[in-house]
Amino acid sequence: MFIKKLALTTGLMLVPFATIAAEVPITGTVESRCIIQTSTPGTYGNPNAYTLSTQAADGGDQAVVRFDVSLADAYYAEITPPLAFSSAPNLPDQVSWTGEVSVQSVSDATGMGTYETDKLELGNTDRYTLTATGSTWFAIHSTATMGGNKAFPGGTYTAVAEAVCIAK
Amino acid sequence: MLALPVQAHEMVPTYPRLEMSHVDGLLKTTMKMFNKRADVEYYEVGVFDEDFNPVPFVTAYNVFKLDYLSHTVFDIYIRAKDRERAVYVCSKSKIRKDSNTKTAIASKICSKFEDKR
Repeated sequence: MFIKKLALTTGLMLVPFATIAAEVPITGTVESRCIIQTSTPGTYGNPNAYTLSTQAADGGDQAVVRFDVSLADAYYAEITPPLAFSSAPNLPDQVSWTGEVSVQSVSDATGMGTYETDKLELGNTDRYTLTATGSTWFAIHSTATMGGNKAFPGGTYTAVAEAVCIAK
Repeated sequence: MLALPVQAHEMVPTYPRLEMSHVDGLLKTTMKMFNKRADVEYYEVGVFDEDFNPVPFVTAYNVFKLDYLSHTVFDIYIRAKDRERAVYVCSKSKIRKDSNTKTAIASKICSKFEDKR
């Protein structure tokens, strides 16, 4: 008898909870888009007095940028390594720059496997045609060499690489 | 498992459509942006031709502040006579000079006006 009452009471208590439960729709639309994600900003190592380099062997860290696209064959990725310091101490001579961009990894090896071989080199800029949907990680290397074998003065150096996503 | 913060810049639509505005002789389009870059607070907007030469345009602010994880919607106005020249509308992240990172990445996204596809 006691168990029956308990079951009935419990059942009655649950009724209000059952009645207030309602479906809450969460809606959204997906627009075709290109998203640029800065995975790693990169750092310069200082392997000798007159060189700054993002190579790991030089104590640096390459910059990595990721492009996510949700529409196939609709975008170009254009990536330009730095060509100047955006902030630096007073420099004693001209600085020469070298840079390199390469595909580090892809989310779809079949659809994106030829990105690196198909890239166009437009001066200092590398252009990739993003023919498949998904994510592509690009590694950006940069080396700055002080002219006349002069040393880089002590201080903080910042250089800016540019990653551009252009609708085709 | 290590969760790394995502630093992203996005702008839609990819192919904006120019429409007549309430001002005679001006065309308008509306863009949306989302800032998921914690290292960037300011973005610059521009309108360009096929060769990325600037095309005159008007918007509320050419350079505007967009806080981390914030959305914004903005209108771009161009003259009707520039319709044939205007091909791209781009937004570019502005890196602060006092940024602490040793190398920084400026991100730029360019949408293409639908009639130029």
